[in-house]
Amino acid sequence: MFIYITKRLLWVIPTILTVLLILFSLSYLLPGDPADIILGPRATPEMAEELNRRLGLDKPWYQSYLIYLQNIIRGDLGTSIFRDRSVLKVILNVLPYTVILTLTGMGLAVFNGISIGLLAANYNNSYLEKFLTLFSFITASTPTYIAGVLLIVIFSVNLNLIPSIGIGEGGFLSRLHHLIGPALALSVGWTGYIARLTRSSMLETLDQEFIQTEKSFGIPRSYILYKYALKKAIKPIIAVIGLGIGRLLGGAVFVEVIFNRPGLGRLIVNSVNERDLPMVRGGVLAAALLFVIANLIADISYAYFDPRIKQK
Amino acid sequence: MFKSQKFFRFKKKRIRVIKIMGNDYKAYLGGIIIMLILVSAIFAPLIAPADPYKTNVTKRLEGPSLENLLGTDSLGRDILSRLIYAARPAVLVSFGGIIISLIIGMILGLLAAYVGGVLENLILFIFDVIRAFPPIILILVLLSIVGPSLLSVIVILGVTIMPRYGRVVRADTLSEKEEDFVEAARSLGADNSRIIFKHILPNIFASVLVLSGMDMASMIMWEAGLSFLGLGLQPPLSSWGVMLQQSYQYIQTAPLMIVWPSLAIMLTMLGFSTFAESLRVALNPKLNQEV
Repeated sequence: MFIYITKRLLWVIPTILTVLLILFSLSYLLPGDPADIILGPRATPEMAEELNRRLGLDKPWYQSYLIYLQNIIRGDLGTSIFRDRSVLKVILNVLPYTVILTLTGMGLAVFNGISIGLLAANYNNSYLEKFLTLFSFITASTPTYIAGVLLIVIFSVNLNLIPSIGIGEGGFLSRLHHLIGPALALSVGWTGYIARLTRSSMLETLDQEFIQTEKSFGIPRSYILYKYALKKAIKPIIAVIGLGIGRLLGGAVFVEVIFNRPGLGRLIVNSVNERDLPMVRGGVLAAALLFVIANLIADISYAYFDPRIKQK
Repeated sequence: MFKSQKFFRFKKKRIRVIKIMGNDYKAYLGGIIIMLILVSAIFAPLIAPADPYKTNVTKRLEGPSLENLLGTDSLGRDILSRLIYAARPAVLVSFGGIIISLIIGMILGLLAAYVGGVLENLILFIFDVIRAFPPIILILVLLSIVGPSLLSVIVILGVTIMPRYGRVVRADTLSEKEEDFVEAARSLGADNSRIIFKHILPNIFASVLVLSGMDMASMIMWEAGLSFLGLGLQPPLSSWGVMLQQSYQYIQTAPLMIVWPSLAIMLTMLGFSTFAESLRVALNPKLNQEV
């Protein structure tokens, strides 16, 4: 196990370095001269030169890349072109919103998904089970942005129950109130997935001999279901949580745009639209780091809960 | 004798697949939805009641009526006709993207499994780098480099999803390569290309087919999402994502307008994923537990 984790960690280093190289090369790949885009048509050559120096575009690419790497190690991600603020500060400002949104979304998906899955497994082969299975299929194939839009139409525009914009002012309750819609929208896709996973894992466990033995001992059904079967059936679900958090990070982009919340996703979309190069680099780097960490956790928890994977 | 035995095994398998899928309501549900989308994409001009690009400012943002069954949008265009025409980019993106993914992924996967060594590690490394980005963010950045158009959306989606196929093809090829029948073919003097096309590809076909069904749903999802953010297909082209984006501005005043493209996207994804699920259950009895 220890060797597996070390190997996985070491493999991450070259990946991250290549990710950095790609982000670095964006300044050469993006269409148009950065100086033109930023300074506009009335810039003098001196101004362009000064900006190129600030962006590190006046040296050969490998030198600039090394400087870029050094800066990143020192925690300097550059300065936003349009906001004149440190990229790192802007990212650290919005990051908590994205993390809270993603974790709340995952929490909702796990809770709702397991509840639906247990219900379906408990009433296997009934109409309720058929309905719940179809329901899980529909939620699993609903994109996050559609869930967001439909939640706004139903609960915000028609019923006026949840706010459709912003993160709420001041108090904890107001913030929580503003979090319901976005977190629910984010959770929809994985609710269906976890429900299907729970149902099949539960049915498989209930089929096993130790459950039959317990039944023959006369232990109450609900006790067997929740105390013994669930404990065993829950393992594959825990194993996919890491994977799910990575997926939800991508979904958060849409949720933040739709509900007009601050966050890493909206920051990236806005900076791509504005062609704010240092901001795009910093934002994408933060997103990639979070994603790589989530995938790492996913792989390790997979290996922990399903030891066959380690040997591959 | 060897050959005929194999032929019968294959035929038997096909009959079994059709039998299993014939008893599965998900196969019918998915099949009908996919047919519906294909028909509207191919025969859009015949089915659509009106011209999807004809604007009429006097009739903007109207609710459903006999003349415009689903109402009109902010420029007075018929929503139903736009929905029907929008099946075209959806079909193009999903099929085009999957074909690109399949071709690149298959070539890289086979190369990795066959050549091995440095090349294999390099290919696996490329897959890992692509998978280090959240897909939507990689797509956003790549699109901002090449600029949004139907072709660039298709190619970029294909490249982003490609590592899945590369990895599956490599893993399956590695295990198939060790099978006795491949060894037998090789000792009979078959060269690599014959082994790949006659013995390995037909056997990994099943897992690739199931994966592509699921991914076609995600392709449509990404395309609509990108267009919704204003970074994918561009108006006036009629696509479900573009319609979402345009009606999002009127979500407070004309909320019904955004519901139609949403339903179209959900229905399409439901169709592809239920069909793929049914196919998976039928093709792979080992995994027969509906996950």
